[in-house]
Amino acid sequence: MARYAMVTDLTKCVGCQACTAACNSEWDVPPGRTRTRVLPTGAVGVFPNLRSAFYVAQCNHCDDPPCVAPCPSGATFQAADGIVKIDKDLCIGCGFCVTACPYDARYLNPATEKVDKCDFCAGRLQRGLQPACVTTCTAHAKFFGDLEDPDSEVYGLVYGRGAKRIESEEVKVGPNVYYLGAKGEPDLVAETFPPRTPRMPSAGQWWERALKPLALLMVGTAFLGQAVAFFTQLRKGEGQFND
Amino acid sequence: MTNPVASPQVSSQRMIKKHHVAIMLLHWFNALVWLLELNTGAALIQSEHFRFAPQWFIVLMTGIFGTRANLLRFHIAVGLAWITVFLVYGIFGWRTYLHQEVLEGEVALDRDDWNWLHIRVLRILGRSDEPLPPQGIYNAGQKLFALAVYAMVPLIAASGLVMAFHWGSPAVAGWAVVIHFISVAVVVSGLKIHVYMGPVFPEEKPAFFSMITGVVPEEFAYRHHRKWWEEVKMLEKMHEAGELERQEPARSSGFVKALRMKQYWPPYGAALGLGLTLLAAFLLVGQGIGASGGFTCCLAFVISLAAPDYASSHPYRSRYVQPDAPVLMDLLVFELIGVALGGLVSGWLAGRLRWSTDKGPHLSERTRWALAFAGGALSGAGARLARGCTSGLALSGGAALSAGAFVFMLSVFAAGFAGAYLVRRLWL
Repeated sequence: MARYAMVTDLTKCVGCQACTAACNSEWDVPPGRTRTRVLPTGAVGVFPNLRSAFYVAQCNHCDDPPCVAPCPSGATFQAADGIVKIDKDLCIGCGFCVTACPYDARYLNPATEKVDKCDFCAGRLQRGLQPACVTTCTAHAKFFGDLEDPDSEVYGLVYGRGAKRIESEEVKVGPNVYYLGAKGEPDLVAETFPPRTPRMPSAGQWWERALKPLALLMVGTAFLGQAVAFFTQLRKGEGQFND
Repeated sequence: MTNPVASPQVSSQRMIKKHHVAIMLLHWFNALVWLLELNTGAALIQSEHFRFAPQWFIVLMTGIFGTRANLLRFHIAVGLAWITVFLVYGIFGWRTYLHQEVLEGEVALDRDDWNWLHIRVLRILGRSDEPLPPQGIYNAGQKLFALAVYAMVPLIAASGLVMAFHWGSPAVAGWAVVIHFISVAVVVSGLKIHVYMGPVFPEEKPAFFSMITGVVPEEFAYRHHRKWWEEVKMLEKMHEAGELERQEPARSSGFVKALRMKQYWPPYGAALGLGLTLLAAFLLVGQGIGASGGFTCCLAFVISLAAPDYASSHPYRSRYVQPDAPVLMDLLVFELIGVALGGLVSGWLAGRLRWSTDKGPHLSERTRWALAFAGGALSGAGARLARGCTSGLALSGGAALSAGAFVFMLSVFAAGFAGAYLVRRLWL
């Protein structure tokens, strides 16, 4: 099975947002939302030692995706090829996964009232095409392929040229979108846009901390009481009424 | 027992009627729904945070239905059928059956019931041999379960609807998930005992069979539901003495009875009906309902007949007069017709159909008509000034949770109260 990965060469990225536009039109992304987007770090440092980079943000299809477990209906899942997908038929739009994503790669589509995000253009892959952002990138800065295939371009870029993941000390979930940069752009991006710790909305926290134990307690108590009653009954034989 | 004198007439052969056939059907429908919904629902919860069914069960259920999407569709379809059936039962059974007989009579817990629960638990634990206090048609355990179910069912239904149709913000959907699970857990913890007591527990076997045959042996009623048995006996005696004429048929059909009810409907029932109508309008036609829009359409139609150019060029009327669309093909026009027809039918069913002018006792009919006309003109002009229908704002806007609708409602009632004081003499 494949393990798909994306590599973005930040030395080449000019921040033109062509990938954003291609993605938006490919997937009918509503205005104001994105599946992929380019975020400038702005000038960082003290003149004349200024650095800057463009962060091409999208779903990282993490090895250990924090968005899968919080999804109550199981709509979010990781396919065998590593792509984290959303079964739109199952999504109920509760947004638990949106707050769980450390990279804020997910959004709730107001038109469909379901969650949407980058799926490495799974539909295009099936037709043998590359993801729309890779095809359209004006600087040819994006590469897509299978990390388990040693002959693939991304294999060379990740294991040969040392493309980096955007991770922080606290959040290491194995993102599969890698970044290259001749002047330390990936580090600058990781400093400016570090992944945040996954959050659970208050409803989910209540469930986790109070209501789930309560539910188990109630069902458990009922079961215990029933068992005790059953054995008391067995011991005492049939009761007041027999027909 | 409170009555130590054994009654010689109690027989285990004689049967007493306990359940109406409609209740039995409803019970088994409900049982089937719970069987299906609990199994499909358990299989739908796959996430580690929420899951409690084993993985093999989820795989099995998903296999039966083909895809998880089918599983969810089935779960929603059965749930909708369940909600519909119980809404109909709740609305039409409220006045005639649910409110008095069930909520206040059959399932309200009294002092005997609390004692019963106390002793029952002690007896299970082997700490007491005290006899159980006498019970009504349902014992305290059954009552407690019924009350829990009555409290949880609206929560389950509402949260299910929120999840199925994405009502409200993501936070609402998130809470709906949690509420759905916890309220089901409450029911399940009672349901386990309920199911165990029915087919398994030997003492309650007659109660189980009564849900199939509708009757219980008199001896069972005497031993387990003494207070109810006493009631039945009393009614029988009164019946024999001719004091009670035809008690039974009153229960026959809540639906027909509610339709033919001479009094006005309970406002909550009517409100629920109106809400459902509104919901149906949104779902089927994609727009809300209101009162004045239909009249505006009719007026625009008349104007477009008399002066088509004027109507299509008028900045306000032209909204209603589109080149290729008939002016009267509007939901609000059909709504007007429906309102008139529905009112006619309902008045006829209730035997209230007659020509009359509702007015205060000291007002002449002519003044009343003149004032009504003036008031109508005033509110019509106001509606147009406000660029829309006032009742439509309250109904459709309120249903969409628009803040404007609530502000408007508050203002209307505030102004209404103030204004009513000034014109109170017209009605006194």
